[in-house]
Amino acid sequence: MVNALTTATTERAAPRTRSAGPTVDRRARARRRQVVVAYLFLAPALLFFAVFLILPLGFALLLAMSRWAGFDLGDIQLLGTDNFTGLFADGSTFLAPILTNTLLFALGTVVLALVGSVVVATCIDNLRFQGLWRTLYFLPIVTTVVAVGNVWKYMYEPGGLVNGVLNALGLSSVAFLQDPDTALPSVVVVHAWASVGSAILVLTAGLKSIPESYYEAAALDGAGPVTVFWKITLPLLRPSLLLVCITQFISGLQSFALIIVMTAGGPGDATNVAALEMYRQAFSYGHWGPASAAAFVLFMVVLLVTLVQLWIFRRKGEDA
Amino acid sequence: MIRRRFPWLSYLVVVTGAVLTVVPFLDMVMTSFKGAGEAGTLPYRFLPEAFDLSNYRAAIDQLDLPVLFRNSVIATAVITGSVLLTSSLAGYALAKLRFPGRNLIFRLVLSTMMFPPFLFFIPHFLILVHWPLAGGNDLFGRGGAGLTVSIAALAMPFLVNGFGIFLMRQFMVSIPDEVLEAARIDGAGEFAVWWRIVVPQTRPVVLTLGLLTFVHAWNEYIWALLISTANPDVMTLPVGIQLLQDYVDPTRTMPIVMAGLVLSILPVLIVFLLLQKYYIRGMMLSGLK
Repeated sequence: MVNALTTATTERAAPRTRSAGPTVDRRARARRRQVVVAYLFLAPALLFFAVFLILPLGFALLLAMSRWAGFDLGDIQLLGTDNFTGLFADGSTFLAPILTNTLLFALGTVVLALVGSVVVATCIDNLRFQGLWRTLYFLPIVTTVVAVGNVWKYMYEPGGLVNGVLNALGLSSVAFLQDPDTALPSVVVVHAWASVGSAILVLTAGLKSIPESYYEAAALDGAGPVTVFWKITLPLLRPSLLLVCITQFISGLQSFALIIVMTAGGPGDATNVAALEMYRQAFSYGHWGPASAAAFVLFMVVLLVTLVQLWIFRRKGEDA
Repeated sequence: MIRRRFPWLSYLVVVTGAVLTVVPFLDMVMTSFKGAGEAGTLPYRFLPEAFDLSNYRAAIDQLDLPVLFRNSVIATAVITGSVLLTSSLAGYALAKLRFPGRNLIFRLVLSTMMFPPFLFFIPHFLILVHWPLAGGNDLFGRGGAGLTVSIAALAMPFLVNGFGIFLMRQFMVSIPDEVLEAARIDGAGEFAVWWRIVVPQTRPVVLTLGLLTFVHAWNEYIWALLISTANPDVMTLPVGIQLLQDYVDPTRTMPIVMAGLVLSILPVLIVFLLLQKYYIRGMMLSGLK
């Protein structure tokens, strides 16, 4: 999502061939017509952004600073920053465990997906039929979260596949999603499983851009495969690794569909994350103000990570 | 090739990972064939006793899959069509037409990609509830349920996509101006230039954007869940299968749910496998979603 901002947006000023002559008047008319046409072409998009982007942002900000019971818009009562301070007040569950869970969820996903994708991508790079393997790893990404969540929920059950494997190995069953200690890590594993394919995609592209001559030079110097991996592959893969890290972290901070399907935030608040809390406060309890405030707090966290990403990539660009 | 060392180790790792990726899908398919008392009981068995299709019949009847399917198809088609059309038109204007405010609008389009979707659930829902003169509302959006009870609500927040406009614009910038200018000199209006020259030239990017949008719209869950709670008649496949699982034959809930899921993910899987080249390029361009 955010990375699109960093990809080249430079625009070449297209020089237009212009022949001076008696047709100047006609050209001026044509140019005026182009302005009208341009705005006609842009009208649907601009109208949409006005109604579904700018208006909602303003409305959400207003709600975040108000008390409102729903129903009549005339009843909105301006409060100032009370909803925000309320989130961080004593006894509020927002900071701990909810925001802590959010960060742990995002961090856990990044670590698992990163390790998994680096290992698999470097191995795929050594094989034939790379496209086939990539497709296989990509299947979870095009699958609806309802399917992913339900299958894994079922696999985590006492009579499910995961416990079946544990039992076959002589280990006792684990109540993965029911035990508050294992619930969050269990959901993290599923989220990492579902997102590792896109990380592999980015990393295989990164690996392709490493010149073969580096490997040849290393081989001439007698470097072993482990040395080559640590001294050549990993350092030259750094831009791709960074991209994977940050985009996965951002997506981990916001995602809650999987959690709704698998645990609904439970047991207790063990798997409750900020976006889910916002959703429930709003649509289950009608606490529109606090819910909107929570959304903006999470947005600030996401924005911070995004800015760090932009800053790192911009600095990289200057180095090169 | 120097990198190609230890191929057996690489094979071992890649195949193990692929098995871990595919096994949940296989478990889903296997479970969808299991009979009453066969799923979720100890000890775990991977294979069903018989490949019986009765769960699929139950899913179609008890989950009312045809209706869910219809709603999903309508919402997905409207979203994909609208995103392609609006992105192409706006992309063309931003890439090839000269008008005051162009840079400002382009910057606005870029900035729309900065806002995460969760920020909009609440205001979008409330805006649709209070939509004037719809669903029993008066001119000031009071009195009724607004657009939230209509099937249009499923698609409305997704009709235009900033990334789509950006993608189209980036692609169209490289179309030579001379071609467009020649058509204009031949007397073609801007609409004809767009439709006859620009649209045919952008087919690959249309396919990429269309595919990304299609998969995303088909799989959308959170928003559809909100809208379906207000009106079960517009329930989509993911929501229906999730919400209705409490109402199916309790002795084989999971097998029926899995059968429904297999049927619901098939369209996307088939389209993805056929056109994966375009989808993967789209993922690369969007920088990993």
